[in-house]
Amino acid sequence: MRPCVSFFATLVGAIFLAQLLLWLAPGDAADIVANDPKLREALVQEWGLDQSPLQRTLIFLGHAIQGDLGTSLTYRPGASVTGLVLPASIRSLGLLLGALLVSLVTGVGIAFHTAGRKSWLRRMIQIGSVVPVFLLAYASMTLLNEWTFSLMQAEVISRPGWFALPDQDSFLKTCLAILVLGVGSSALTEIHVASEQELQRIRRSKFIDAARARGANTTPHLFWNLLGPLTTLASNRAAFFLGGLIIIEKVLHVNGVGAMLWQACRLRDYPLALGITFVAAALVCAARLAGDIVRVTVDPRLRAQR
Amino acid sequence: MRRGVLLGGLLLSLVLLAWAVSLLVAYDAVSDVDISRASALPSLGHLLGTDHLGRDVSWRLITATLSFVGPGLVACILAALLSICAGALAGWYGGWIGEGFRYLFTVISAIPRFVLVLLVCSIYGSTVWNIALASALAYSPKMVESIYNRIAYFRVAEFVLAAEAHGVHPRRILSYHLVWVNCRYLIFRHMLTLFSYFLLVETTLSFIGGFGVVEPQPSWGNMIAFEWGVRDGNPWATFAPAIAIWAVILGCALLVEGIREDEHA
Repeated sequence: MRPCVSFFATLVGAIFLAQLLLWLAPGDAADIVANDPKLREALVQEWGLDQSPLQRTLIFLGHAIQGDLGTSLTYRPGASVTGLVLPASIRSLGLLLGALLVSLVTGVGIAFHTAGRKSWLRRMIQIGSVVPVFLLAYASMTLLNEWTFSLMQAEVISRPGWFALPDQDSFLKTCLAILVLGVGSSALTEIHVASEQELQRIRRSKFIDAARARGANTTPHLFWNLLGPLTTLASNRAAFFLGGLIIIEKVLHVNGVGAMLWQACRLRDYPLALGITFVAAALVCAARLAGDIVRVTVDPRLRAQR
Repeated sequence: MRRGVLLGGLLLSLVLLAWAVSLLVAYDAVSDVDISRASALPSLGHLLGTDHLGRDVSWRLITATLSFVGPGLVACILAALLSICAGALAGWYGGWIGEGFRYLFTVISAIPRFVLVLLVCSIYGSTVWNIALASALAYSPKMVESIYNRIAYFRVAEFVLAAEAHGVHPRRILSYHLVWVNCRYLIFRHMLTLFSYFLLVETTLSFIGGFGVVEPQPSWGNMIAFEWGVRDGNPWATFAPAIAIWAVILGCALLVEGIREDEHA
């Protein structure tokens, strides 16, 4: 019950914060659309710009519950924000889940090998993973283009469908985006280091000693007990990846919700930006809720504490 | 590991030195344009060569520190002050005061950091100072949570109970015994992480364009973007800022790791 209350309270708070930022801003959204005083006044009333942040939050949430996130102002004037955001969100969600899977599988896999040992692999992961997402995407795209061009000139391959067409969606570009997002900006090294620490903690536990003394296989115990901390790690990482999506979609020209948010912010389309922020905050809260549920399921001691 | 800390410290010292130089010596990005020396390779006159407008890459690399060192330090100080106040009070008093502060920062952390920075830039303008403020606000929940956890843990420790029994003022126990003695390494670690995060955000925004530092003012991010797609250009015009970003972020990470090990030693 408590995690559910926390989910809704945090979501309401996040929307209130976004509305507060808009309310505190000098000028308002009507300034960028109309210059006729009468039209301006009509727009101010229609968009509820004369209301307090709390009123705006409640009205926004009331509409959001009915599936209405408002109307786009400048990105695609008159279009429903829900209609714009939902398809783009589904596309971006694939990238996010893919990146999460890549960093979790790689980070935990390597942690099983390196935990408690001196390993050069740890330092190599750190050196490679601290490279910012935009730089990694830029470098990999440039190298890929250069190599493909060289192979085309040497007549080893014919021109691939995606070559020199940055806006064209392709499987290769999607894989590259997932890989870069899952590794860059310290994503991999953070998951790897945290997994190593958790693994060492679990390996020192008495129940692992007991399992070892009985000659039982300890790997299932390690995995089961790693599940709780990993879920927390994954839910925290999901928020970070949501930010990373904006960068990767802009650099690799992927048409997702991140690129849409960037464009909405540039064009000052605040209903659209607010709609995307609502979806992002809901995803972050949902990831935390899922993390809580998994942790309580895995560790019965937490249930007793509650 | 000491080598890592030394390397991290050396890299950050170089950045601070470059920042000091660019504060003392004025650089005019417009008058530096000279097409006759466009895309020149490194030489004694131009240590890292020139970009495709003939501007000196090494000089622009140094001047670009203006766009992130000052605002980055301000972001670190702001976030530290905010987090120390909120985290220490929440951990010390607990109860509804603690829950209230924690709820406030949970709400901030519900909006992904980069989304919050982008919203602030769009609403209030995309100056490096606004980016710094937004980064500080977006990062502070992590710092508050760490400080809160540590203060709440030590709140019932024997040395705190003994100090209270000896009549030491609660303000001194909180500010000196708990925050300074037990949290200073933690706070410094977070400040370094925030500094590298700010560099990441500033260079990313400047690289993509539309927000951040705009040409002709140099930023390591827009220096890379400016040379993107230039055929037969000077490769160092792209490599130098890219290596600089990577090196500073790695330097911060190495220092953070070293401080963590010192703390646990």
